[in-house]
Amino acid sequence: MSTVWLPLGVLAHARSGDKGDMVNIGIIARERHWFPVLKQGVTSSWLAEAWEEQVEGRIKVYEVPGIGALNCIMEKALQGGGTVSLRTDAQGKSMGQTTLTVRVEVDRALAEQLGVPLDEASQDRRGTIPIPVLA
Amino acid sequence: MPARGGVTRIAGAGGFWGDQVMAPITLMEGADVDYLTMDYLSEVTMSIMHKQKARDKTSGWATDLFDWLEAGGLELLKEKNTKLVTNAGGANPGACAEAVLGLACALGWVDCQIAMVVGDDIHPRIEHLNADGILTDLSGIEVGEAMVEKLISANAYIGAGPIGRALEQGADIVLSGRVADASLIVGPMLHAEGWAKNAATAELPLCSPIDSWAPMEVLHPLDIVAGWTLAGHLIECGAQVTGGNADSWAEINDLVNLGYPIAEIAADGSSVITKPEGSGGAVTRANVAEQMLYEIGDPASYFTPDVILDITAVSLDEIGPDRVAVAGARGRARPDKLKVSSCYSDGWFASATLLVPGPQAIAKAKATDYILHSRLAELEELVIHTEFLGTGITMPKGGIELQEDLPEVMIRWSVKSPNRTDVEIFGKSVAPLVLTGPAGVSGYSARPRPRSQLRFVPLLVNRETVEARVDIPMLRTLRKALTERRPDLEARVFNRLQRISENENRIITKRIAGRVLRGLERPVGRGKVD
Repeated sequence: MSTVWLPLGVLAHARSGDKGDMVNIGIIARERHWFPVLKQGVTSSWLAEAWEEQVEGRIKVYEVPGIGALNCIMEKALQGGGTVSLRTDAQGKSMGQTTLTVRVEVDRALAEQLGVPLDEASQDRRGTIPIPVLA
Repeated sequence: MPARGGVTRIAGAGGFWGDQVMAPITLMEGADVDYLTMDYLSEVTMSIMHKQKARDKTSGWATDLFDWLEAGGLELLKEKNTKLVTNAGGANPGACAEAVLGLACALGWVDCQIAMVVGDDIHPRIEHLNADGILTDLSGIEVGEAMVEKLISANAYIGAGPIGRALEQGADIVLSGRVADASLIVGPMLHAEGWAKNAATAELPLCSPIDSWAPMEVLHPLDIVAGWTLAGHLIECGAQVTGGNADSWAEINDLVNLGYPIAEIAADGSSVITKPEGSGGAVTRANVAEQMLYEIGDPASYFTPDVILDITAVSLDEIGPDRVAVAGARGRARPDKLKVSSCYSDGWFASATLLVPGPQAIAKAKATDYILHSRLAELEELVIHTEFLGTGITMPKGGIELQEDLPEVMIRWSVKSPNRTDVEIFGKSVAPLVLTGPAGVSGYSARPRPRSQLRFVPLLVNRETVEARVDIPMLRTLRKALTERRPDLEARVFNRLQRISENENRIITKRIAGRVLRGLERPVGRGKVD
């Protein structure tokens, strides 16, 4: 399986919020039928790596197939909760937007088949090696 | 109130205490709705309100409510026959209701009925509840005595039942304490669809399961409660569903005049989310989807006092400009326990910022931070959190990276300590950096003052013990009181008050009303009576 890396924001949009010390990020495929690609890219281990410095607790990814979305729960994510966190973003409100800037790894053939634009895709996770153009 | 055109129109004109104060007025001027709902409470609002109430018996509720009611909102409610449902009562629904009642009297709304929903405050008996083992943390473990003693407030999340029943009894305005956000919308549906009337007829308790209030012919009442709850969830954060805080922000028309949401809710649990015609914003599938997932946990089991909501199969469809149809919510029987919002004071907090210019902005910022840390090193319990704003502090690993130095950097320090004096010393140590640190540092404002920090503690309580005490006391303006007390005088007093109000452009206070009443009661011949 040949994979490519593309910024999550190409594939999906998102909004984050808090409950106590928990942050949730709702990640919604921009097209409902891109949901299978989104599920490949966003996993709890991918989130754990992206947010390793901020999140201390468990991460769970729930599916919301009706709207082609994932609801991601990150526990112990706010230094004890929105009211006691010392961060400027004490309630994790920016985490949805910034998560969209990180690249996810997805199956190239599936992405192409479903019409996901690959202009910004790369061969590596840092986005430095462009993918070869197929004839 | 009978549903119009098969649906009930419910607006959500505020998302928290601090949202745009006059939004409900703009909304009512731009659209006709049957009910206006306002959610003023977030996780710690209750604790802040309890603290206010301890200082002043007339405070402890969301006073923004009074501001827009006084600025013409109350007249609009009356003119348009729109019922208001809000949790603005906070820690002190009684004081809130008194203030609103006074305003209704003053504005000449002589037959206004204001219901309160009370009974959510379990703090006065929390030690007793804990000793009986009916209070636990979210994982079901008993709460320690030491923790219980620390708590400064504890309010259970009440469901929609009492709101439905208050409206059924004729309330024009329902003011509650800690009613769950979405239940503010479910309550009006219970009344609009006749469920509350069924419950009243059958003399069911205020807090009995609302799915048991459904008419006989309804086959899946839990799915309907789930649908109403979802509609409530979608509009209870105000304009976050109509284009606020949206990923598509750049494409959204007129965020300046962003419209607040209206849910057109049907008897079957489905709804259409929309907004006043001509207002800014956009009700799209994408924006509604973002709000549907906002601040939820497991999407198959979203717990409210009324139902366990499953949104995994919900569909969102754009059926017209700024109209999104919502269907497919499923419900399971409500949980056995109620969530409790409680807080305790957890030390002192302050924050400060300084602006550091280039060249070498980042190096200067780091040096400035090092100096501050070193000067405060003796304060062992002081925790200092430093952020160099603009360098990527909100970014996860793999996100946008800082490529080179910046033209300038903003440093933000936030600190906490169990000792107030530590935080005071920090406050006094920021300004000196302008004169005693690297070159060109600016942006200093007043010394930050230590603020008491509140830590939110969610708990669970057996619902029976709370719900047995929930009540809906009703306050009425003058005419109602008079009708009951002195029916013989009622018409004359009312006429007199209306004339004073209209001709003399005076507001009718309780004092004036009292004087008129006493005048009428004087023996014949001593006062002119008309």
